[in-house]
Amino acid sequence: MMMDYVPIEFSIGGVYLPPLLVASLFGVVLAWLTVMLLNRYRLSRWFAYPPVVFIALAIIYTGLIGTFFIPV
Amino acid sequence: MLSRKTKESIKTALAMAIAYGIALSMGWDKPMWAGFAVAFVSLSTSGQSLNKAALRMVGTLLAIVVSLTLIAWFVQDRWLFVVFIVAWVGLCTYLMSGTRYQYLWHVAGFATVIICFDAGADPVHAFNTAMLRAQETGLGILVYGLISVLLWPSNSRADFEDSVVKLASVQHKLYRAYHDLMLNKADAADVQALRAEAVQAQTGFNQLLPAAQTDSYEVWELRRQWRHYQRLVSEVGEVLEHWRESFDELQALDLHALLPNLEAFDAEMERRFVEIERLLDNQVPQDAPVPIELALDKTGLDQLSHFHKAALTVTRSSAHRLEVLTRSLLDCVSDIKGFSRPHTGAEYHVDKKSGFVPDPERMLGAFRVMLILWVAWLMTIYVEGVPGGTLLIMMATPIGMAMSTMPQVSALKLFVPALSGVLFAGLVYIFVMPQLSSFLGLGVTIFLATFAICYLNAAPRQALGRAFGLGMFVVVIGVSNQQSYSFISVANTALVLPIVFSIFMLTAYIPWSPLPERVFLRLLARFFKSAEHLISTLGHDPQQPLTTLQRWRKRFHAREVATLPGKLGMWGKMIDPRVFPGTDAKQVQALVINLQALSFRISGLIDARQRPQAEALVQELTQDMRTWRLAIQALFRDWTAQASIESELALEARLTKKLSQLETRVSETFEQIGEGRLKPEDYRNFYRLLGGFRGVSEAMVGYARLMRAMNLGEWRESRFG
Repeated sequence: MMMDYVPIEFSIGGVYLPPLLVASLFGVVLAWLTVMLLNRYRLSRWFAYPPVVFIALAIIYTGLIGTFFIPV
Repeated sequence: MLSRKTKESIKTALAMAIAYGIALSMGWDKPMWAGFAVAFVSLSTSGQSLNKAALRMVGTLLAIVVSLTLIAWFVQDRWLFVVFIVAWVGLCTYLMSGTRYQYLWHVAGFATVIICFDAGADPVHAFNTAMLRAQETGLGILVYGLISVLLWPSNSRADFEDSVVKLASVQHKLYRAYHDLMLNKADAADVQALRAEAVQAQTGFNQLLPAAQTDSYEVWELRRQWRHYQRLVSEVGEVLEHWRESFDELQALDLHALLPNLEAFDAEMERRFVEIERLLDNQVPQDAPVPIELALDKTGLDQLSHFHKAALTVTRSSAHRLEVLTRSLLDCVSDIKGFSRPHTGAEYHVDKKSGFVPDPERMLGAFRVMLILWVAWLMTIYVEGVPGGTLLIMMATPIGMAMSTMPQVSALKLFVPALSGVLFAGLVYIFVMPQLSSFLGLGVTIFLATFAICYLNAAPRQALGRAFGLGMFVVVIGVSNQQSYSFISVANTALVLPIVFSIFMLTAYIPWSPLPERVFLRLLARFFKSAEHLISTLGHDPQQPLTTLQRWRKRFHAREVATLPGKLGMWGKMIDPRVFPGTDAKQVQALVINLQALSFRISGLIDARQRPQAEALVQELTQDMRTWRLAIQALFRDWTAQASIESELALEARLTKKLSQLETRVSETFEQIGEGRLKPEDYRNFYRLLGGFRGVSEAMVGYARLMRAMNLGEWRESRFG
């Protein structure tokens, strides 16, 4: 069971990328989409300091992707 | 026939190939430093390039002295070493955002970082590294300098002379337009475009003067006269703006009746502006200027209210300044063009800036660069496997310093040209360079790649693309005599970029948000804080000397009030109207224009207060002026705190009431003092002060009107940038 979660590097044309890098790229993209939606619906006004929220979202998404989709 | 951009691109490309060729044939390490010098000093005329080259060379030499000193003192203690490097870079960043030698300080800052981090780990060879940097920078400059002088030399003189003629013509048109505006014959909206054109013409002139001094002996010989001319034309622009600010209060008056020689005055001014243009066109002088003063119709004047008299006095004072200034300008142009004609005797003294007054924006820029450097340094030490190593610091410093001079440009906008530069250079490095076996092939490749980057980014607005394209090309190809190829070095450079730009984006929020609407509100609050301080100084008797601290604070706030409207205008343009449907771009522009007017009027009022007032008037009216001043201060305080804005109707009502009360009080005071006891100068100084108070109050009502129509609540809401 635990063997399923062994981190595996991504190979693009023979160039190996660490899984954490790939997971964090997806995490940043998802965080960016989320803040766009929060801006669009004026929900961002409920946050005291949006830049920290962005970083927190990126870390949360990276953690979730690393846990459920791309083992890091 | 080759186009100008083709010629300029060929010159840069040829210089780059030759500089690499010489550096390699001499067996020098890091020939890319010569390539950098060529890439960054190449500008459109030889004068501009040689100026920039001189600044780069002096900056590099200064960096060498500082680097070797720091290495000698602190090489045993890395923390002290970094503390001093960061402090030096902060100082250079502050100085580079000033008005003189910007590029010198830029180079002095980042070259210190490059030499220190390159040589700091290997102090035995520090001197060699520093000398190598100096000789390769010198080589790049020498090669480009020779090519720019020998191959299709492009002199700045023609461009400079065009800019002089253009500036004179725009100022003439602006004078015409303002004159019509004063007489209600023109629309204020139409004049806006002309004002923008005048600012642009002045900027063009200011940029070309140093270049023309360098590459044209004729301009160099007359450099003192040209600098005097520069000060005078800049003053003409300012006086015209002051003059225009007094028009609102004149709208109800019959100016032709009150100023009987207004037409003669206008004709004389018109003649002078035409004469200046003729002289600049090398035509022989025709009309000698005749000193003229705007006369007042005594009978008509007596029938006016005191406030109308005050408005008229303010206008006359601006007209007088313009009259003296245009005569000085004519003398100066005659001198420059070598026409022997008797001087008119007009000596216009332009105030020179004195003493150091810190600029908060520049300090903030320096703080951010220091922060960027610390973050990059700490990452290099404490984050294991961070790509690039010290390349991270060496890349973050020059880009961070450049960004501090344009804080309104988002870091994301620079990321795309930087990444495109790496990708292009990566392709050349991976697919073309391994096929080469001699310098002939390498030289042709460098020539073609440099030509392509310069040619495709030739427009001035593409300057960033050109800079990043050439910079990244030189870094990525990493040419040396023992050339090796490694995909990892391109990949690492490509990976350093997102890290550098992430640092920029994160540090941009420290200590304040960089979102344009937030910056706008912050600057607005600062404007009113400074305005309040300046108004509070009106309570000080001008005969009593100020302490050093008081003088310094007054200078600081006066500079803030004078410069903040321009900064607000710049940030106002960056506010996206799609994000804030409650406020449109025109409203923001109108607000900025109103603040500019307020700024001029405050400076006029401060100036009027410096003039001596008759003792009898001071005794009688001090209390009235004081309550008025305190009311203005209270409003500025509210606006600094961005509290709710009092309705413009309520303000207008208060102002009308105050004006009518004062009207009565002034009449009573004059009656009490009796005719003949006050000198004409006493009346003039008093009316200037009264006009100043009224002008500021009117501009404040205008501000309240504009603010109430705008929905600034939206701007205060948090949002993601």
